[in-house]
Amino acid sequence: MIKIENVSMKFNLGVEKDNSLKQVFIKILSFNRKKKKKKEYFWALKNIDVDIKKGEVVGIIGSNGAGKSTLLKVVSGVYKPTKGSVTVEGSISPMIELGAGFDGELTARENIYLNGAILGYSKQFIDEKFEDIVEFSELRDFLDVPVKNFSSGMTAKLAFSISTIVNPEILIVDEILSVGDIKFQEKSKTKMMSMINGGTTVLYVSHSLESIKTLCTKVIWLDHGEVKMIGDTKKVCEKYYKEIMGR
Amino acid sequence: MKTLKTMISNFKRYSFLMRQLIIRDFKIKYKRSVLGVLWSILYPLMIMSVMALIFSNMFKFSMEGVNYLVYLMSGLIIWNYFSEATNNSLTAVTGNFSLINKVYIPKYIFPIAKCLFAGINFLFTLIPFLLIVLLSGNAAEGTKCTINICYLYIPIVFIGALMFTIGLSYLLSTVTVFLRDVLYIWGIVLTMLNYFTPIFYSITILPVWLQNILKLNPLYIYINTLREIVLFGNRPTILYLFSGLFAGFVSMVIGMIIFRKKQDKFVYYI
Repeated sequence: MIKIENVSMKFNLGVEKDNSLKQVFIKILSFNRKKKKKKEYFWALKNIDVDIKKGEVVGIIGSNGAGKSTLLKVVSGVYKPTKGSVTVEGSISPMIELGAGFDGELTARENIYLNGAILGYSKQFIDEKFEDIVEFSELRDFLDVPVKNFSSGMTAKLAFSISTIVNPEILIVDEILSVGDIKFQEKSKTKMMSMINGGTTVLYVSHSLESIKTLCTKVIWLDHGEVKMIGDTKKVCEKYYKEIMGR
Repeated sequence: MKTLKTMISNFKRYSFLMRQLIIRDFKIKYKRSVLGVLWSILYPLMIMSVMALIFSNMFKFSMEGVNYLVYLMSGLIIWNYFSEATNNSLTAVTGNFSLINKVYIPKYIFPIAKCLFAGINFLFTLIPFLLIVLLSGNAAEGTKCTINICYLYIPIVFIGALMFTIGLSYLLSTVTVFLRDVLYIWGIVLTMLNYFTPIFYSITILPVWLQNILKLNPLYIYINTLREIVLFGNRPTILYLFSGLFAGFVSMVIGMIIFRKKQDKFVYYI
């Protein structure tokens, strides 16, 4: 269960501008004393109020910069909301960006442990699941190769295999349904589907209305940080499509 | 009270991650080096030999009835730990931004991981240090050091120094997020501190008023307590032991409070 109560998220834009001496010097030297009233912050999320029940698969749609990923990060705890609160019951598996914390210098084997630890797995758990991860990633022959020598596809396969080894109560997915070559794409898609359909609560961000329609029981449409519409998948998707294409 | 409880349970939960981070640092540090981890012992040994050579032969530093080599080393090992740990933790938060921005991890483990990493390196330096203690000195001049029962007090000194460094690391890693200039400023501060800590000279060569100021430096307390034990086999005074621990504790509490207050803002500034 996820309870998002009146969440607003403010980002500072002017942060970089004033906190270094260099900038102050440049300002003085450039004789640019005109005080431009620049907007120094913007609200990435405004008063989001959403309840997600256990087992719901919720899609989030909206154009770029609408606040979709920010919302996911607020729910997963990366960002603390400026206002409001988020209550999450259950273990979260965030698949926002795969392979966070991969270190190129370390081998695939070492990265499995490092990345697993970052995702909050225990040593015992990784020991147990190590074989499964390797098996799924199809990278057994490259276990002791530093990840920096991997192709991007191989890195993605490894990262995907580590992130999806758990059975989380809440799954947060940002655009990632499948990675790698054709064969692996099929495999990873099947894996994702089984995770999504397995009774987990899912927050799913995507630009593909097709996959939203097939997966989600409920859709949130975000526009400039605000909830524009929320409810039945078909209705929201249709309205969204019309408005976007009609502009 | 509740926050303390969650902190402890979090700490248990994330201790595996901390271990992984320390292992990562070690592996990267010795990647592609033939001697590998052996450098952890060799490097400080070599550096200390160079220092010993310079100070005792070129500058003719020596002390009547004191094993100067051990005197110098006992200061150096603690100083090197302090300088390595604080230097590394400057970037403890900023360097791990790609992680902090993607997954939820309690951020307070990063500075601790850096201090423990330096701490492990420090423990390695104890091996050459003990060798020097055992092998150097001259019994006839009364400069022979022996391992004695007072060595049992040494862990207290180390714990104090560790806490002191952790506190400072919290402070430094926080300030660096908002003000990158600290990266340079700290280098200057370290150089100054290096000379204001009696590492290669004796504090008694200074005027009394300056001595009194230098004695407020917690590093002096740790180094001096260690010297009392190793050089002279004296039981350290309660005052020294206690003030060392106290300084460490105060530093740690202040560092943690500042870090806690600011940690939610990190993501905006990095």
